[in-house]
Amino acid sequence: MDILHFIEMAFWLAIAAIGFAILFNVPKRTLIIIALLAAVGGSSKLLLMHYGVHIIIGSLIGATLIGILSIPAAHGKHAPPLVFSIPAVIPMIPGAFAYKTMLGFIELTSEISTETYDLVLNQTINNATIAVFVIISLTAGVSFPMLITRKTSAKKIKIIS
Amino acid sequence: MNIPLHPNKPLQETADCLLEIGCLLMASGASTNRIRITMERIADGLGYETETLTTQRTIFVLVKDLKTQEVYNSFKKTPPHGANFTLVSGISKMSWQVIEEKWELNQIKEELNRLTKLNRYPLLITMIFVSFADAGFCRLFGGEYIDLCTTFVATFIAFLVRHYALSIKFNPYLSIVFASFTACLITSFARFFGIGNHPDLAFATAVLFLIPGVPLINSFSDILDGHIMNGMVRGTNAMVIAFCISLGMLVTMLIFNF
Repeated sequence: MDILHFIEMAFWLAIAAIGFAILFNVPKRTLIIIALLAAVGGSSKLLLMHYGVHIIIGSLIGATLIGILSIPAAHGKHAPPLVFSIPAVIPMIPGAFAYKTMLGFIELTSEISTETYDLVLNQTINNATIAVFVIISLTAGVSFPMLITRKTSAKKIKIIS
Repeated sequence: MNIPLHPNKPLQETADCLLEIGCLLMASGASTNRIRITMERIADGLGYETETLTTQRTIFVLVKDLKTQEVYNSFKKTPPHGANFTLVSGISKMSWQVIEEKWELNQIKEELNRLTKLNRYPLLITMIFVSFADAGFCRLFGGEYIDLCTTFVATFIAFLVRHYALSIKFNPYLSIVFASFTACLITSFARFFGIGNHPDLAFATAVLFLIPGVPLINSFSDILDGHIMNGMVRGTNAMVIAFCISLGMLVTMLIFNF
């Protein structure tokens, strides 16, 4: 296992999250926390995938981690949890699968033999399903703390009581 | 039953203020549940009872004065959508101050005025960081440093194209098609001339800054909260944006005949 590679990936995850955070105009005081959350959540997904966990489960766990950590961050920096969690999970959005799905659909429109058509159709549906389920697991992971504590506001969630 | 033609002034002003808050939140990318809870919390702090109907383009509110039992309702259309989390965060903080520090209506209006006047990040800073973000995606998918440079340049120019298209009042979806087309065109040149080791990765990642992250995540969280209609509207919006991105890619592919 290449530790340096993982550190580099964590760095790029943080950079990607900061880019989107600035695009979404988050308050300046939250930028560093967003970078840290993205690095932690994204790296845990990559690490799990390295040990053979499926991408959907990996994304769910990574996003849940981000969702849970965004509650203390929200308390500390006085901003709603979504400010931290949405930019932090965006680097985990399955861009590659969505891209392959799109390429597949474009290929399906061209004139190809029945065998190739079946093959391309199979791959396209597979990629599309993975992309959709990864996005659902990202959302479910981010809203996990709210669902499990049955509170309507993060302010009412006591971290240590 | 007697319905007064001119309901009392504070009631009317409160309703307008609540509508303003709801519309700002909707345009800035808050989920439906958050909009409803924030509006109810502020109304509660001011001593009113409220019911809301929230849709993507219009917000409807009904305010009831608990002392006089008077009722007032009103609509307002939302401004153009664009994620702005500083506003969401500021309004959320304000809603708690209304309850905890017993704010008056005037204070709320002043705070709203201040929040809406806050500047966004400068355009150049946004462009540089968004381009770095796309370069980061390229690296995450396994691109090498020369591909990162291609992605950076393509994103930088495409972002400028979208910004310009929006500023001269093009349709937002059409602006996304233009941006996606520009990004793909630039990366296709890299692919055509054989610059870089994985030009196809640069091609796939240079458009990722356009992905509708906020509508997509809000769509699913709305559905989880039971706001199925709003969730579907947001989901459809996200799908149309994704379609616009792929339209730009498709046109480039047809030009270069990949």
